[in-house]
Amino acid sequence: MSLTTKPLSFPFKPLPFSPRLALAAGLVAFFVAVPLMYIFIRALGANPEDWLRLLQTRIWRLMGNTLTLVAAVTSGALVIGVGMAWLTERTDLPGRKAFRWMLALPLAIPAYIGAILHLALLRPRGGIIPQWLESAFGFPIPTPSPLGFWGAAFILTMFMFPYVYLLSGAAFRSQHAMYEEASRALGRSPWQTFWQVTLPALRPGLLAGALLVALDVLAEYGTVALLRYETFSSAIFAQLYGRYDRSAASILSGVLVSLAMLVLWAEIKLQGQARFTQMESNWRPAPLVPLGRWKFLALLLTLGLVSVSLLIPLLVLLVWSGQAILNPELLAQVFRAGSQGFARFAWNSLWTSALAALLAVTLSLPVARLSARYPSRLTRFLARLCQVGYAIPGVVIALSLVLLVNRFIPALYATPFVVVIAYVLRHMPQAARASESALGQVSASLEEASRTLGRTSLQTLFQVTLPLITPGLLAGGALVFLTSLKELPATLLLRPAGFDTLAVRVWVWASDGFYIQAAPAALLLVLVSGLPLSFLLRREQMFR
Amino acid sequence: MKTLEVQNLTKRFVAAPHPAVNNVSFALEDGEILALVGPSGCGKTTTLRLVAGLDRPDSGSITINGSLAASESRFLPPEKRGVGLVFQDHALFPHLTVFDNVAFGLHGCRATSRQGRKRDEIQTTVSDMLRLVGMDSLTKRYPHALSGGERQRVALARALAPRPVLVLMDEPFSSLDADMRLEMREQVRDILKAMQSTVVFVTHDQEEALFMGDRLAVFQRGQIEQIGAPEEIFHASATRFVAEFMGDSDFLPGLARLEGIETEIGLLPQTNSLPHAAQVEVAVRADDIDFIPDESGNATIAARFFRGAFNVYRLRLDSGQILHAFKEHTQLLRVGARVRARVSAGHPLAVFQKINS
Repeated sequence: MSLTTKPLSFPFKPLPFSPRLALAAGLVAFFVAVPLMYIFIRALGANPEDWLRLLQTRIWRLMGNTLTLVAAVTSGALVIGVGMAWLTERTDLPGRKAFRWMLALPLAIPAYIGAILHLALLRPRGGIIPQWLESAFGFPIPTPSPLGFWGAAFILTMFMFPYVYLLSGAAFRSQHAMYEEASRALGRSPWQTFWQVTLPALRPGLLAGALLVALDVLAEYGTVALLRYETFSSAIFAQLYGRYDRSAASILSGVLVSLAMLVLWAEIKLQGQARFTQMESNWRPAPLVPLGRWKFLALLLTLGLVSVSLLIPLLVLLVWSGQAILNPELLAQVFRAGSQGFARFAWNSLWTSALAALLAVTLSLPVARLSARYPSRLTRFLARLCQVGYAIPGVVIALSLVLLVNRFIPALYATPFVVVIAYVLRHMPQAARASESALGQVSASLEEASRTLGRTSLQTLFQVTLPLITPGLLAGGALVFLTSLKELPATLLLRPAGFDTLAVRVWVWASDGFYIQAAPAALLLVLVSGLPLSFLLRREQMFR
Repeated sequence: MKTLEVQNLTKRFVAAPHPAVNNVSFALEDGEILALVGPSGCGKTTTLRLVAGLDRPDSGSITINGSLAASESRFLPPEKRGVGLVFQDHALFPHLTVFDNVAFGLHGCRATSRQGRKRDEIQTTVSDMLRLVGMDSLTKRYPHALSGGERQRVALARALAPRPVLVLMDEPFSSLDADMRLEMREQVRDILKAMQSTVVFVTHDQEEALFMGDRLAVFQRGQIEQIGAPEEIFHASATRFVAEFMGDSDFLPGLARLEGIETEIGLLPQTNSLPHAAQVEVAVRADDIDFIPDESGNATIAARFFRGAFNVYRLRLDSGQILHAFKEHTQLLRVGARVRARVSAGHPLAVFQKINS
């Protein structure tokens, strides 16, 4: 995609460039760029012997492992996501409205909680299902191993397909009936129409969804660590946590971030100028396809998927939480973990995530405003820079911050604020996208009207612009809050000793095998994540 | 003292090859409506934005009500200029009611009314303005619940409420339906005249410009081609572009003679100061041409367009030159008939010397 500015056919130019705004945006970009640059500096500046050793021993295997997992999960999520979107948006599937919610809500369940449940249910010795089978039949029945590549790919697909589902569902929905009608009138069959008109129009949504999934898989730590499938993320974590080998961790991080940047670049390249999911005023939905005798099969398939990705996890968590609460001994353990109580780590989760959301949204504003109002190569570059957080997995952010803070601001080291900074850096893109789209919807003439009616630029910001973009900013904040709440590896690596959050607590208990003790915290985490998620979903056309 | 004085205004955009506004000068008397008219991209809207203070000129000066608003060394921000601007898309604040939209400009800290207004004073001003534009029954509505014409009225009331020394209007009717547009422009002109506002009005519609403007400035490629009263612009077009843009003229080639201009359809007895035998073009409109059926005539009817009260005939002269002519609807002539065309204008026609390329 070329980045050159096309000369506008009509010379509309907004107010002269504001130096204050440019300065603020520059500072934000610097804040975002430094951790990324620092990782590359450390990776390239690492001991050549370390490089050689890692190249000979680890890197290629990790690369193979990581890329196969990314490919498997991304294609799985695409197939399931698009299939389900088509079923709920374009067919007469019974219970579509309820299924829409059930297919989106798995986003509130962190994949590592899914992995914990998966392990608890299926592990060969002591798993609930093998035990139950043994007691039913009197002898052990072999069950598929929950570990390794297939286990990780299965779990990640189950909890990440909603990204694709939501984006392609929105695209299916916003498609105007007239395009398909035009295709039919031009002599295409329904089947040809689907492949030649409907699906191509979905491309931007599909690519965006695939990108989110791929980057999330690259960044995933909890699931792959629990299911013993080694990827870059889990290898870096092991280097940092077990061996304190920062040089090796830096090298692996450099390679991982390069991979992620490649994915991000590929998406931008493929996406091109294609942004055609615009809802028109005279929009009319495409007619529903009758499923006929396939209805039962489709229903069964959807129910099965929803059970695995939402209903069973929730049910198990509920049952276990019930058991934990009813058993006084377990209850005491749950409420007095380490030196801190349950309320304490719930509160830690809340305030760090909320602060991160507030900061991310505030910081994204100057950059978003600059690129929305003064489009140029430079401002677009700044906006892109704010997107790199997507491409920096939690473990890498943690490593970078450990190194940076230790070296330059030791006072911050081992404080909860480093955790918050990590959340902000990692989730800034979500805030940036929300701010940009919110600002993009405020026509420049509204601000100009305010100026000609006697307001200064600052008064205009507070009296006109901010009131109009607040809903959009809230949505961005909710997204950052939600993802920060679920964040695991950076929290584990950066938290001061004894600073537990819900996610950390669930992780620590579950990795020690105390599944029932972990259940109440996990349930609370899922429920608290569900609130901002349902707020976000309610904003979407699909869920109205 | 002029209300607005624009001198040698020039604005160039980075990506564009030509200046958007090129050395433009004009002035407005108090209470006058000046319509800036021209094809899209001609610089009229940029000129308006420069006057409003939304863009910074490269050179030239703008003086509003006797005080310098923009020059090479000075730039007054829009909020200090005391101008009211009506936007093409109306730009009503979607988070404010009709009342609050109109009141928005009254709370401000404008330089000309620094003492600030009292709450009930604002109340009366807003009510008066809304009554003036006929919107006093919908004060509690939000912009999204208004029709196009209603939004238009609120936008006008909002711009007029702070009593600006100068009102700027940027194609304000372009987002309205055709019939609503005709109705609104009459109402708006009445309101502006009742308020004795001084107005710069931008449009690409020549008919609208002729209706709205006390004077017209015809823009092309960033420059003013002609400025003057509507009748003057229409009947005495200064350039071929103005004649073409303002009234669907056909250009009939001719040769300048002492006694007039010799054309394919006869001699135009029109004195002129052109060099002898110069090649010229005469701008003729459909109302300047008449014809009678004549088998040995000089033209053929190429097409007929029924316009209700009259017909427009397209005539092809024997040289291939196309002319248009009005005829009342009672008389019908078939396409392909031979006719004799002649100039029947009761006034001198605009003549332009042909520039040989």
